[in-house]
Amino acid sequence: MGISVQPPVSKSTLLGSPGVRARRATDRVATVVLWGMAISIIVMLACFVLYLLYLGAQYMTPDFIFGVPKEGEAGGGIGPEIFNSFYILVLTLVMTVPIAVSAGVYIQEYARPGRFRGFVQFSAEALATVPSIVMGLFGLLIFVYFFHLRFSAIVGAMTLTILNLPALMRVTQEALRTVPDSLREASMSVGATKWQTITKAVLPSAIGPMTTGIVLIAGRIFGETAALIYTAGLSVSANSPYDFSLTHTAETLAVHLWYTRSESTVPDVARIGNGSALVLLFMVLLFNIAARVLGRTLTKRLTGKSS
Amino acid sequence: MAAGFVILAMALLLIYLAGEGLKLFVVDHFSVFQFLFSGDYQPDTHPGAAIFIVGSLSVTLFAICFGGPFGIAVGIFLSELAPLRMAQILKPAIDVMVGIPSVVYGWLGLQLLVPLIRNATGSPGFGLLAAGIVLSIMILPTVITLSEDAFRSLSPTLREGSLALGATRWQTIVRVLLPSASSGLTVALILGIARAIGETLAVQLVIGNATQFPRGLLNPTSTMPTEIVQDLGGAAQGSMLEHALFSMAFLLLLIAMSLILIVRYALRKRT
Repeated sequence: MGISVQPPVSKSTLLGSPGVRARRATDRVATVVLWGMAISIIVMLACFVLYLLYLGAQYMTPDFIFGVPKEGEAGGGIGPEIFNSFYILVLTLVMTVPIAVSAGVYIQEYARPGRFRGFVQFSAEALATVPSIVMGLFGLLIFVYFFHLRFSAIVGAMTLTILNLPALMRVTQEALRTVPDSLREASMSVGATKWQTITKAVLPSAIGPMTTGIVLIAGRIFGETAALIYTAGLSVSANSPYDFSLTHTAETLAVHLWYTRSESTVPDVARIGNGSALVLLFMVLLFNIAARVLGRTLTKRLTGKSS
Repeated sequence: MAAGFVILAMALLLIYLAGEGLKLFVVDHFSVFQFLFSGDYQPDTHPGAAIFIVGSLSVTLFAICFGGPFGIAVGIFLSELAPLRMAQILKPAIDVMVGIPSVVYGWLGLQLLVPLIRNATGSPGFGLLAAGIVLSIMILPTVITLSEDAFRSLSPTLREGSLALGATRWQTIVRVLLPSASSGLTVALILGIARAIGETLAVQLVIGNATQFPRGLLNPTSTMPTEIVQDLGGAAQGSMLEHALFSMAFLLLLIAMSLILIVRYALRKRT
């Protein structure tokens, strides 16, 4: 940049050195390319959504969404599968949230940096990288082979609990980290115990980001497939399509999509696949929107500040 | 107690999968060497898993070669270039990408990508290329988010110093920021690999599931996870095939663990 204020420099010197103009041109090209890449991600996502809409929108009838699945003939619905997805999601959250939140609080608020804390962190990271199919086999080994439970809603939910524990722990820890220490100190200085400080001051002000994180993870649990195939089973309950029983098979919507394509004998695979994929995508979008709205509302309600 | 649960879960996972995964070698006396390097896959007598290992490695390599640089570039964009408005659109979009179930990615690959490849090349469309592309897309959120973090964690003085010396923004990125963020970017890539190598259903739907080595990008083949999900249902409990499938699961677990150890090492080097 200093070059422009220097006394006459011949053009050849300018171009002979790494060249200011060339550098600026590269910079501009790079900027355009990076913008292009970022935009292409949004375009790609939009294409996915529109294409699934184009494929599946025609099947969004009450018959399909609330109907029962069929084997060997066309015209089956996905009602029980949607029910099972929600049922397993609720069971999983009921188990995961208390464990993950208390583990997160312990690590972030109580544990002193040291060997134990490091070990918990390491285990959580390691657990987080375990592929979901491997987790599914672990569920099979421990719950089905060892405890002799059948493929069922509860076995699926327990497997998903272990699978999602690290992510939820991380969400809790990060939410707690956003709470300024001054808040903790203020609470302690007016005589609150550590427990009171955490439950009355720290957790309420972390609840916004925590809720956002939990709902996003809930979206992932809703669509989980690989870990459920050999734990929750490949068919809906034999008792009744909408079965609250913990011990009957409970095929979820995501598993149904895979099963229909890969193993089943129905003639209308494309119809069920396109419809199920669209419903799954719609649910993901819904969970994402809900995560943001809920997080924001809770933060406002409990702390009075908007974030 | 809850924190201890995490340790317990991880320990049980290792012990149980090791216990079941080693049966092939201990109970069935199949050699580890044959398992790892033999391409001769006879489910009930000689389950050499080389085909699936090579399959897994090739799709993962493909994904990281394409998804990796792309993800890092978008990470750079988010941390260095993006105006607030753009970031506010891109970040939720990435969250949605994380949320899309893997089987839906697989279904999209099946409906969109496989026919495209079929029409363009005249091959069946199923194979390494389709699986690689689907995986490249699926690892993007991981790589983008982590590389953005890596760039954001750099001290602003680096950027300011470089710009003050007259470097353009691009020069600053390439010569100053990229080298300084290298350990963070390594972590981003490795966790991308971890995501890709264990992916099951998205790959299973588009890879063709043939028990053969991939001879080219358009060849159908199989990976370890796809083989497990395909054949475990039909494998009798205690059979050699079942043991072999658990050995593959154990191998996947070992790979995931080594990746996390590398991540630890890369992060320690930074501090």
